[in-house]
Amino acid sequence: MKKTRTWTPLSVLGMLVMVLFAVICIAPFIYMMIMSFTQSTTLMLHFDEINFTDFTNYSYVFGKSGFLRALTNSLVVVISSCLFNCIISSMAAYGFEKKNFPGKEKLFKIYLATLMIPGQVTMIPVFIIMRKMGVLNTYFSLVVLILNAFGVFLIRQFMESVPDELLEAAKVDGCPEYRIFIQIVIPLIKPVLISLVVFTFVSSWNDFLWPLVSTTDSDMYTLTVALSLLKTQYQTNYGLIMAGAAVSFMFPFVLYIFLQKQFVEGIALSGVKG
Amino acid sequence: MERKKKEALQGIIYVLPSFILIACFSILPIFMSGYFSFTNYNVMNDPTFAALENYAKILKDAYVADAIKNTLAYVVVTVPIQTILSLVFAAFLAYKMQNKTGGFLRSIMFIPVIASAVTAGTIWRIILNTDGGLLNNLLGFLHISPVNWLGSTQTALISICIVAIWKNVGYFLVIYYAGIMGISKDLYEAARVDGATNIQQFFKITMPMLRPITYLVVTLGIIWSFQVFDLSYQMTGGGPGRSTVTIVMAIYNAAFKQYKMGYACAMAMVLLIIVLVINAVENLAFKEKEAK
Repeated sequence: MKKTRTWTPLSVLGMLVMVLFAVICIAPFIYMMIMSFTQSTTLMLHFDEINFTDFTNYSYVFGKSGFLRALTNSLVVVISSCLFNCIISSMAAYGFEKKNFPGKEKLFKIYLATLMIPGQVTMIPVFIIMRKMGVLNTYFSLVVLILNAFGVFLIRQFMESVPDELLEAAKVDGCPEYRIFIQIVIPLIKPVLISLVVFTFVSSWNDFLWPLVSTTDSDMYTLTVALSLLKTQYQTNYGLIMAGAAVSFMFPFVLYIFLQKQFVEGIALSGVKG
Repeated sequence: MERKKKEALQGIIYVLPSFILIACFSILPIFMSGYFSFTNYNVMNDPTFAALENYAKILKDAYVADAIKNTLAYVVVTVPIQTILSLVFAAFLAYKMQNKTGGFLRSIMFIPVIASAVTAGTIWRIILNTDGGLLNNLLGFLHISPVNWLGSTQTALISICIVAIWKNVGYFLVIYYAGIMGISKDLYEAARVDGATNIQQFFKITMPMLRPITYLVVTLGIIWSFQVFDLSYQMTGGGPGRSTVTIVMAIYNAAFKQYKMGYACAMAMVLLIIVLVINAVENLAFKEKEAK
């Protein structure tokens, strides 16, 4: 593409639009950070009030409103979700891709079909089931729903590239089945597992509706629910609310900075699933 | 023979945990939802059979009618705009800014995607505040009088749509960008030899080549939009009046505020049917194009 260097008025305008849109994308988060360091309860930004060494809002958020507990809950739920999803999904993907059992492809089609079902449709019966099981307000109820056919599908596709000969050779050498899976297959599918972790992290961290309906005990609130409550409790204490928003944004954001490539790949992959 | 059996057993063992979970929390609930939708059920007492009563009630319920109307309006506004913006931006970034700056801009445009809808809603709610909110402040410099963005039935829904577009463009842009990168450079080379302008190339090469991706982007966009809840819950709570109530919010309120589980399940079934129909239409359209 050599000709791309010609700068017509249209392409200059296009560039300006790109920069403007990027500014619009980032500005609300910068505003959030600035606001979280002001004590003002009016919205007018007084620049002399901004004090980046004043963590009053943050210490208040963590001290009073059960926010720390919610942050801990979210971390526990997200980390367990990632582990859980990776383990169960890669086991299933291995079973589907490298083993033969009757009805395999039919079952896989059913798995794929479940991807079309919106979570809001199954939410009510799942609530009723979990209520009967007595597991509402537990980490189990917040973690277990993360598993869906998407992870199985994603890993299975990747696993096609694991050569059968390699697994066969290991078997001939007398390597027990579980060790073939753990010591040969898992290391080989590491790249796709990282994508799945990123994807799981973001969807679990940002999940709102299920924690909202399933946690009635305030000790089990996740960060999104706590943030939503903050808004109702401290109507006009904007600095405080922004500090809460900043905390909930920080974790996926830091992950994004370190794993940008995996983020974008994970998203592109998730798009391909349709 | 023995070996085959052993392998089959191993396969089943590997698949079993995921199967149990998907069966219990995805497949079974669909049937339960279907069943409850024909009953009156308040969780405390056993469900009682109500035939089509719930569905008949949906048709007459003004609250649900508003929820459906708002959701449709939301879909009609967000999906076309976010699709066009992400396509045009992706094309421009791919053709004119395939450099460090372009990469940097793309990274920034993705940031709204990683924030939760609740976080985004929290921030935007404050930005859109009538008295002294950032947006009204900025408009003040242009001598535009303050707008009551989220407090007026005229602008509340459209404000939520704009925030949704802001949040979604980065996502679809990434998908489009990957798609454009996959188009063979030879096509453009040939077009240039024939004297086609950049604009012509966009309409005659880029857009047709991206058609499968556009199907995906539009379908995903529509399906997600029908499920909108978080943004509206966080920004307006459905108000003012009923102007930003969505289908999922109606389901949530019926099930978890009024404990009308049967009624909520009936609404959920309607949502399921909408989503399945959209999927079916997309599949049909896609197959048709593939066949050509």
